[in-house]
Amino acid sequence: MQKPITEIVIVGGGTAGWITAGLLAAEHNVDKGVLAHDPKLTITLIESPDVATIGVGEGTWPSMRSTLSKIGIDENDFIRQCDASFKQGSKFINWRTGSQSKVTDSYLHPFSLPHGHQELDLCPYWLPHAEQVSFAEAVSSQEVLTQLGLAPKAISSPQYHFQNNYGYHLNAAKFSQLLTEHCTQKLGVTHIRDHVSQIINNEQGDIDKIITKQHREISGQLFIDCTGAKSLLLGEHLQVPFLCQKSVLFNDRALAIQVPYSDANSPIASCTHSTAQPNGWIWDIGLPTRKGVGYVYSSSHTNDIDAQQTLFNYLGVDGAAADKLDPRQLTINPGYRAKCWQNNCIAIGMAAGFIEPLEASALALIEWTASTLAQQLPPNRIVMDTIAARVNERYQQHWQQIIDFLKLHYVISKREEDGYWRDHRESNSIPDSLQAMLELWRYQTPSQHDISYKEALFPAASFQYVLYGMGFNTQLPTHVKPSMQQLAQRLFNDNQQRTQALGKNLPSNRELLDKVAQYGFPKL
Amino acid sequence: MSQHVLLNSIDHKDLKVITTRSAALGDNLWFSLTFPQEFRSVQAHYPIFFHKDTATGQFYSVALFGFQQNDNVFLSDQGWSASYVPLTVRRQPFLIGQQTVLEDGVERQQRVIHVDLDHPRVSESEGEALFLPYGGNTPLLDEVGEILEVIHHGLQDGQRFVDALIEYQLLESFTLDIELDNGQKNQMIGFYTINEETLAGLSADALAKLHQQGYLQAIYMTLASQSNVRDLLNLKNAQG
Repeated sequence: MQKPITEIVIVGGGTAGWITAGLLAAEHNVDKGVLAHDPKLTITLIESPDVATIGVGEGTWPSMRSTLSKIGIDENDFIRQCDASFKQGSKFINWRTGSQSKVTDSYLHPFSLPHGHQELDLCPYWLPHAEQVSFAEAVSSQEVLTQLGLAPKAISSPQYHFQNNYGYHLNAAKFSQLLTEHCTQKLGVTHIRDHVSQIINNEQGDIDKIITKQHREISGQLFIDCTGAKSLLLGEHLQVPFLCQKSVLFNDRALAIQVPYSDANSPIASCTHSTAQPNGWIWDIGLPTRKGVGYVYSSSHTNDIDAQQTLFNYLGVDGAAADKLDPRQLTINPGYRAKCWQNNCIAIGMAAGFIEPLEASALALIEWTASTLAQQLPPNRIVMDTIAARVNERYQQHWQQIIDFLKLHYVISKREEDGYWRDHRESNSIPDSLQAMLELWRYQTPSQHDISYKEALFPAASFQYVLYGMGFNTQLPTHVKPSMQQLAQRLFNDNQQRTQALGKNLPSNRELLDKVAQYGFPKL
Repeated sequence: MSQHVLLNSIDHKDLKVITTRSAALGDNLWFSLTFPQEFRSVQAHYPIFFHKDTATGQFYSVALFGFQQNDNVFLSDQGWSASYVPLTVRRQPFLIGQQTVLEDGVERQQRVIHVDLDHPRVSESEGEALFLPYGGNTPLLDEVGEILEVIHHGLQDGQRFVDALIEYQLLESFTLDIELDNGQKNQMIGFYTINEETLAGLSADALAKLHQQGYLQAIYMTLASQSNVRDLLNLKNAQG
């Protein structure tokens, strides 16, 4: 009988390492919230005391709710301990033209799918009304509700349930801390604080064991690389090549800072704000206690001094106040490893790849890879390559879609600045796949048929929200069936009514978070 | 509108309270809060369910009087037809207030009786007196004080009871579909009851813990009270 895979070694902590540990333990070692007496997997996480985590990464997708639930973390504990707030999508400001025109240049890419999406794709039926109402407002209630600063649910909703789909904004360091405690105290994960000094292979070229600075020998059958940008195992040791995407998505620097609110009761924004800038864009994430702001930019188009000035202009600070600020600079290498799984090593998180956080895809990819590994854990080494091959295939499809989708935001912009914004529209920087889709979308709206594989990261609706938020022009359908027109009208009206009802009953974000602090969401 | 004031024998020496039961006096209630200490008496007449407060997401035990808002099948021109009226109904128009007092130089919180002067039960002319001619409490007022104390402690214990039910996953939501003899249909949603399957599967440890806290009895009282739904239905049908 083949030796089953039971010894898992995760190298690296941070959100990648601990979410992976949590999901593996939850899938294989825990039943109905109780850790098995003799767990199937031995999970060891080695974390270097000499290497800091990246320290940013504060926006999640809605998938995080089911990830936390699966790992067994109570939503109230999570919100209270991680300074979390509710994220209902991303708001893009000044991406269309950036000029001070009469029309506000902003649109929302909400997390909720369009109303009635199981019955009908409303997008083509909205097209004739593009001048009167934005796509997001016509098909979802989140456009209006996020503008009003309202929360996605009320205190009486059970944990992780929603009125409108939501993810979170959170404090990354506190999140890692919570995950570490939960995994080590409740899920039986072994935590070793030590630095990797050597990686030893066996004769087949698999990783056999890790030697640490304090002379520990840690053997394993499956190694998970969560070492961040260093990609110590997959990139450095196993030499899996890196596919740089700088020619497509230029941003390779970030300047990040935390900013307090002027008043303890300032409203908390319902979504991540992304404001376009001369050479990149600025993220703005509202936690209950402070905001996280960062300028993501291209070092080929601007320099660090000018970038800092752009950030300070956004914050509205100058002179003496600006001198007190100490933003943190990060270097980003946009791109991903050709494979995430090589031999008996899989990379999760930044060790596999990284791209600018324009759609907060980093944590979502961690969740996808970790849950895929947990659900498809190879039974033994012989069949590991078969499973690795299909995980790699899906991984490559996800990355290709991320690159295309992020590039889309830039390609259809009409911002006039020389250099950066015009360069983004140069055809040699646009992937062929995206060019083909853009041509198709001139004549028909994005649909599920554009995506040839199942369980894509971004559904067709995401492309619709961005395309039409940016004011893209698609030819109107020539023939519309009356019965479908009627159905569409009913769905539009339903959405309006639902929006109004929710607008009356939902609390503001701060009100809801105060109630969570006091009462917590009920379990049912 | 309500006007809650601290009850005192000076300002309120002539205040009276009407103790009969009627819709005009605010008794036309769909349900009222109850708590384990009272379950034994409540379960003899009323179904006991649980209700979620939408303002806080917290659950409370409730005694059911009818099938919709402003529908108390026990209430008629003859008064309230059951021999036991739950304490949170009987306490009207009084409620507990908190007062900070200085005792030996130390600030202390004290529970005091408040009365809602705008409540229809409050009168200067009709009903029973609260204070004696020379300022002492009447037996009625003393009884009110006791009722309020029992409710105060009872609700605190009730909160712990509900926490225990949630901890052992014993609460489940349910929908009550009623069809009256006259064909009228009612659907009650937003109420919760005890999941008997989960209850039957509890470990010896869990049962022992619940028993120690007195909650095992409360659970069975709750289950026993469910047969009163049929009585409510009969009373409702008799109203025509």
